Amino acid sequence: MSELRASRLASRIGGLVLVLVALALPLVLSDFWLQAGLFVMATAIGAIGLTLLVGVAGQLSLGHAAFAAIGAYVYAWSTGESTTTVGGAGLPPVVGLLLAAAVSALIGAAFSPVAGRLRGIYLGLATLGLVFVVRHLLVNLDQWTGGFTGRNVAPFAIAGFSFSNKSPDFLAVAGVEFEGLHRLWYLFLVLALAAAWLAGNLRSGRTGRAWANVRDSETAAAAMGIGVARAKASVFVVSSAYAGVAGAMLALAYGRIAPDVFSLTASVDFLVMIVLGGLGSVGGAVVGALFVTALPLVLAEYSGSLPFLAAPGSGGLDPSTASRIVYGLAIIAVLLFLRGGLAGAARRLRHRASRTPAAPPAASTANPGTASPSTQDDGHPAEVTPSRSKETTR
Amino acid sequence: MSYFLEQVLNGLSYGLVLSLIAAGFAIVFTSTGVLNFAHGSIVLFGAYLVAVLHPTIGFWPALLVGMAGAALVGVLINTLLVRHLADPNPGTAAILMLGVDIVLLTELTRRIGNKVLTLGAPWGADVVRFGDVSLPAGRVVAAGVTVVAFAGLWYLFSRTDLGVGMRAAAADGPTASLMGIRLSRTAATGWALAGVLAAVAGVFLTSFPAPGVAPTVALSAFAAIPAWVLGGFDSVPGAVVGGLLIGLTSALVTGYEGDLSPFLGTGFGEVAPYVVMIVVLLVRPSGLLGSKEAVRV
Amino acid sequence: MKHLPRACALSLAAATALAMAACSTDPGDASSSGGSGDLKTGNGVTDSSINVGVLTDLSGPFAAGAAVQVTEFKAYWDQVNADGGVCDRDVAVDVQDHGYDPQKAVTLYRSMAPDVIALQQVLGGPTSAAVLPLAQQDDVYVGGVGWAGSALQYENNQLPGASYAIQGANAIDYMVDELNVAKGSKVGVVYFAGDYGNDALAGAQHAADERGLEVVAQEITPATTDLSAQASALAQEGVAGVVLGAAPAQLASLAGVLGSQGANVPIVGLNPTFNPSLLTTPAADALLANVYSITAVAPYASDTPAVKTASDLYTKADPQGAIGWEVPLAYVQAELLKQALDGACDSGDLTPAGVVAALRDSSSVDTQGLLPDGLDYSEVGQSPTTSVYVSKVDAQAPAGLKLVDELSGPSAESFSYGS
Repeated sequence: MSELRASRLASRIGGLVLVLVALALPLVLSDFWLQAGLFVMATAIGAIGLTLLVGVAGQLSLGHAAFAAIGAYVYAWSTGESTTTVGGAGLPPVVGLLLAAAVSALIGAAFSPVAGRLRGIYLGLATLGLVFVVRHLLVNLDQWTGGFTGRNVAPFAIAGFSFSNKSPDFLAVAGVEFEGLHRLWYLFLVLALAAAWLAGNLRSGRTGRAWANVRDSETAAAAMGIGVARAKASVFVVSSAYAGVAGAMLALAYGRIAPDVFSLTASVDFLVMIVLGGLGSVGGAVVGALFVTALPLVLAEYSGSLPFLAAPGSGGLDPSTASRIVYGLAIIAVLLFLRGGLAGAARRLRHRASRTPAAPPAASTANPGTASPSTQDDGHPAEVTPSRSKETTR
Repeated sequence: MSYFLEQVLNGLSYGLVLSLIAAGFAIVFTSTGVLNFAHGSIVLFGAYLVAVLHPTIGFWPALLVGMAGAALVGVLINTLLVRHLADPNPGTAAILMLGVDIVLLTELTRRIGNKVLTLGAPWGADVVRFGDVSLPAGRVVAAGVTVVAFAGLWYLFSRTDLGVGMRAAAADGPTASLMGIRLSRTAATGWALAGVLAAVAGVFLTSFPAPGVAPTVALSAFAAIPAWVLGGFDSVPGAVVGGLLIGLTSALVTGYEGDLSPFLGTGFGEVAPYVVMIVVLLVRPSGLLGSKEAVRV
Repeated sequence: MKHLPRACALSLAAATALAMAACSTDPGDASSSGGSGDLKTGNGVTDSSINVGVLTDLSGPFAAGAAVQVTEFKAYWDQVNADGGVCDRDVAVDVQDHGYDPQKAVTLYRSMAPDVIALQQVLGGPTSAAVLPLAQQDDVYVGGVGWAGSALQYENNQLPGASYAIQGANAIDYMVDELNVAKGSKVGVVYFAGDYGNDALAGAQHAADERGLEVVAQEITPATTDLSAQASALAQEGVAGVVLGAAPAQLASLAGVLGSQGANVPIVGLNPTFNPSLLTTPAADALLANVYSITAVAPYASDTPAVKTASDLYTKADPQGAIGWEVPLAYVQAELLKQALDGACDSGDLTPAGVVAALRDSSSVDTQGLLPDGLDYSEVGQSPTTSVYVSKVDAQAPAGLKLVDELSGPSAESFSYGS
């Protein structure tokens, strides 16, 4: 087992280095990268919540953006001041953030009886309906939401320290002026690390095992004394709370929210993140969020400097169209060539490097297709739906 | 009363077009287990081919090419991509189709530009009158064609070896394979059929009363998702019932928007299909005509 | 993930130590603006160049029209630079594509803001709604966000002509005064859900109240391309005219269906609702018979010298390019920004804030017939003008629209935001 211990140590040191790098980044990054980083961290938290729901517990959801929207609007409403056009409760931002998580979780709990009746892809598409219903409410309840054009979001603050360009108006660390984006970076980093740590613990603990059992076979889980309905409800609550926090963070990153931010595309994007990253893996969800959120931004920013493309409007392949197509092709390539998604590929790389055919680190799902036989209880590829032969019989 | 009747006929004829798309979703899903997020782009692709080709070769040959082209795209997607997934399961397949959709839709959007491409359909802007109720001629043709198409599908699935093979493969792939049914062939046929139906639906969705081919047509395919789901995932008759129900719902909610908006808010027509879908699923968790799932231990 | 708590604690401690050592809340000499002589300069301005930004949609739903505008922008500034530039500096345009995605728009704004003096255009409703508040915080001029009244509240925004509400009110006035829509009749308003459509509806509703008409409202979305249900509902109500706040696809469908049902009523489309390619659709006859277009910017076929200049520039830059209302619009947006830059230069403050101040100082802007004369930008929250252009669909006119009138109707003049 010393090899295993060595690899654990290596991954710990790796994690520590990553965290230190993340802490130092605002000293060197431009506003573009800071803003992109905020979006990545916010969506990563949403993706972690979704991977618990879909990857670990096997409950397909296409409605994650609906819960994120609820979190975002609860935050904006509870921390905003009332104006002539929109209401607000004027509560402290910390309370607003907690409320965002709590209200989303509550609505997730209220939805879980519905989820209990539906399975697999039926559940996924029913939750798709949720996105449209929430959007309709956001547009029509305009005294709370500001309607189609949305409402402003109050900046986050703790004990008089504001995560915006004001109060203190000037703050510098090591000669770099720390504006709102820099300050939010640290807030988001703390939230993202806490969320990932909590999810990792939940996943490998008793609760996570119960969820995985429900995913693999509800009957078997029930026979082992797991309350299936309760397990399903709990995973919905946890994942909705994650979505709620992610929504509130998105609201902070934007500074203004509108129903369009939480569209069907946003919902599907969360699913893309966790599938590309590797279902059920917390690390994979984070990498997936990085891929889905940052890649289009980076392509948009830098595609203009590619020399061989046509000018916009000339009828040829222009940089903007090309970058969109590259993004689509990248998704296809990951799914065709990387078993276990990005997380699976990273794991194989690491194994090849250290030449230890040991059990994979706890953070990722083992895959029976890889060369590493595993005896851990989560040694199943998590499918969005159980295989069809299991689900439908005629 | 004639107003009500007109909205009902409008809704039903639109619903039949939706059911063509919904049936495409259902056939692809039963034959390969793929939730085809790129179906909207295939609808657009079929209509786009017709729009580009009709000035040179005429509408009917263009329609044939459009159907063949959409079918070919479906078959290619299946053989080149879906069958080579690193982790073949419904989740990765759905996301794969999303990637395909981004590529197809972006390229088609670029080619179409801000033009509204016309289809040159022979029924033009004609209107058919039944008493004091009028209906666009294109819709009447659509209804007729859809009925014929579904009769053809029924014949295929119940009276031909290929169709029976497809049903067998859908019910239990490995067993069907043991009995000599070639799964690759049934899968390809499923994708091709869905492509043909998509192209036909695309033509009806973009000819009068719609103005012509524009990239938003790909979004209309999303309106068929509730129709497919509430009919039942693996049921072609379910797609017809679902399509009719959704078409009727949208037409009536839109037609009586003025009376409904004080209670339901404006723009409820957009959400109504999804509300109907959720309600149906709560009562019947596998859709109206979907096969009941039995959980095997 | 078991390693996280310790890693976290360690790194937090490290960071705290670092921050303690290096933290400062004293701005010191943070003034970054410099410049030569009496001219104060800031972001995006050097001794020889001025950078302006464009955030547009080159890969999403508005890609084609946006590309026309980008071509015209570049041609305009090339012309200006050839004539000596602005404030003795060459103007360079930095174009980025947000693909109609607010997330991209915000991030690209962040990357662009430190290097530009102003944003000449942020195309699209959701995208501009996300960028405008950030730009306001940074005191950066934003032009070309369309004509939605919701953008008027931003001090840093310049609307190119009459807002949608003013256009909608004028549409009603025109129907009553010129198209024989009698008092007491009903008019339909078919509009996109959102800032564009709701603003148009507000203006039309105000005018209908003033003129004694009843509004029958029908909300749609851009995905609605088959308007038969809406058309039947309007015909059922017996409307005497329709105001359409939507896009070309909806115009063709609505006109076609109403025409085929024998409802021979005028349809007045607002700014972006007409496109010359509609004249090849089966709805062409209905369009030619009944459709008018109200625009904030002079139509392509207008014969004022400035519109001619705009179209000549465009045809020279792209001989095969699609012509349409985007050409004069793009030209005048660049022209409005140039006037604001000139104003900032004259007042010796060529900084982002200086451009916004120059914009708000201008109470009578003329654009040689591209926009109505005498645009007043001194009052934040109100439309800069009440005048619009009325055109009729005409197969002979270039870009399919023939100018028939410049109009400032009584209900448009009595309309006021926030009342």
